[in-house]
Amino acid sequence: MPTTTPAPPRWPGWTLLLAVILVLVGLPWITSGYAGRIIINTCRNLVLALSFDIVGGYTGYINLGHAAFFGIGAYAFGICVRAGMPVLLAGGAAILLTALFAALISYPFFRLRGPYFALATFGLLKLCEELALTLSGLTGGSGGLSVVWPENLTLSYFLNLSLAVCTFLTVWLVTRSRFGLGLVSIREDEPVARAFGVSVVWYKCAALVVSALPAAALGPVYLSDRLYINPGEMFGLETALMPITMAILGGSGLLIGPVVGVAFLSLVQEVLWTQLGVLRLASLGLVLALVGLFMPGGLVRLPPVYTRLCRWGLVQEG
Amino acid sequence: MTALVQLLISGVLLGGIYALAAFGLALIFGVCNILNLAHGEFLMLGALVCFLLGQSLGIDPFVSILVLLPLFFVLGMLFERGLIRSVVEKTGHEQLTASVLVTLGLSLCIEDVARVLWGTEEKGFYYSLPPIILGQGTIVISSVRLLALGCIVGITLVVHQFLVRTYLGKALRAVTQNRRGALLVGINTAHIGLLTCGIGTMLAAVAGVFYMLLYSVNPSIGLPLTLRYLCIIVLGGLGSLFGALLGGIILGLTEVFTGYLLNPHWQETVAFLMLVVFLLVRPQGLFGRVQI
Repeated sequence: MPTTTPAPPRWPGWTLLLAVILVLVGLPWITSGYAGRIIINTCRNLVLALSFDIVGGYTGYINLGHAAFFGIGAYAFGICVRAGMPVLLAGGAAILLTALFAALISYPFFRLRGPYFALATFGLLKLCEELALTLSGLTGGSGGLSVVWPENLTLSYFLNLSLAVCTFLTVWLVTRSRFGLGLVSIREDEPVARAFGVSVVWYKCAALVVSALPAAALGPVYLSDRLYINPGEMFGLETALMPITMAILGGSGLLIGPVVGVAFLSLVQEVLWTQLGVLRLASLGLVLALVGLFMPGGLVRLPPVYTRLCRWGLVQEG
Repeated sequence: MTALVQLLISGVLLGGIYALAAFGLALIFGVCNILNLAHGEFLMLGALVCFLLGQSLGIDPFVSILVLLPLFFVLGMLFERGLIRSVVEKTGHEQLTASVLVTLGLSLCIEDVARVLWGTEEKGFYYSLPPIILGQGTIVISSVRLLALGCIVGITLVVHQFLVRTYLGKALRAVTQNRRGALLVGINTAHIGLLTCGIGTMLAAVAGVFYMLLYSVNPSIGLPLTLRYLCIIVLGGLGSLFGALLGGIILGLTEVFTGYLLNPHWQETVAFLMLVVFLLVRPQGLFGRVQI
């Protein structure tokens, strides 16, 4: 872990930032739906990657089942809507339910450490998929679950975008806070953190709940955009592992890391991956293995990138 | 009564298969301090190779074990040399991240490549020997299952003897207890790492043969199996052969009885629920010394 000197937040130029914001806001009116779709997908991955990083990057527990919160949020929302609840209430209920679920599993799961935690959370994903398939009265089983209302690309574009911004701000607040410092201390050395008075158990549980919230909120947003979900898609390997790959490839434990990873892999995906008919999962696995072998620190911790990001003030300690 | 006996036998057998592979996983974890998420894939590969040998050359599954043993021993050593060793050399959080990423990535690669090469359909073959009939036909015991159980017990005993009696086995256990200490007294930890991954992979592949005999195999069974091994390791405590065996048998019996009494669907989730319950009640495992 390279230590950094806290650089003053100087951006590469406020004008550039302003231009990006203007383009993003104006995008639905100036282009066809395709560009909007790409941004929506990117935002979705960004939300998942950033929120994964609260537990995966800062606390140091690799939560492979992070996408389960996303899936549970989507399913809870779908079930509530089909039961006749108003949309906003259903969304709130879905988020609340997922947060509750995260709080419930956090205590037993954090009794595991390191790779065991990773595997157990992966099992959580499998469990959710199995439940979604088995409880077909509630979830529609393998046939999936759909909601019916008119498509509105602009609305879902702004929903995704604002959710991504909110997630970014949440993670930013976490990194700036005493809470975030506690999480980092747990990652670096848990017994020492405990000895210094960090209430390790509470911090870890809170971290899991906080990281579950954006993913849970993404569920309703996703369903209201796609109108249809099924277990294989929501709890499948690609949904689960893509954001994690992005976060770690970019550099987990740094605010800018997942953003870089998402941007990079989304680009690769758009240019190369979609051309690939077979072996998509294998190539994802290959990327994972190569990142693990050669740069577990991620792209942003490569020296040339790191110094440049420091100069731009885009890296803060984490 | 008949059903009960049949369930008991298949549960114990299933548990034995799990335990064999889970012990390999525990060995690798003990020596290299890395949880090999690709371990279940080796079981799948072992089963597939056994199937292919039987299909193309007509080799009996019990004979194909003799082919699989050296094959997967070498494969395991290559796996250690190529991937695990460079992860072992990393430290701290970086090692954790790397170990999860590398083994998970490998697991995805194996699964997807197997899917492309051999298709997603279930593969299995019908293999039977004349059954053993007891008590005027009230109890019918499949001799294939009995033979498989015998083989598993035999292999477990051989591995146990290897670990307890031989110099290499003792060295291996020493590395499990304290890597640096073992290095200081002159044990070549790199060689032990190679050996352990070889043995662990070999055990998983052999377990795959028995899995093939009882069930059918498809490319996606790997990761769910690894999850079961985790459950077994948590149940039985780390590094103990008999703990793994007992944990495996408990899991096997629970799965079989759940499948019989409730619904085969729930079989998949039992391991997971048991894992959560055990973590809540007794996180140190049944024999409770090792913290996980």
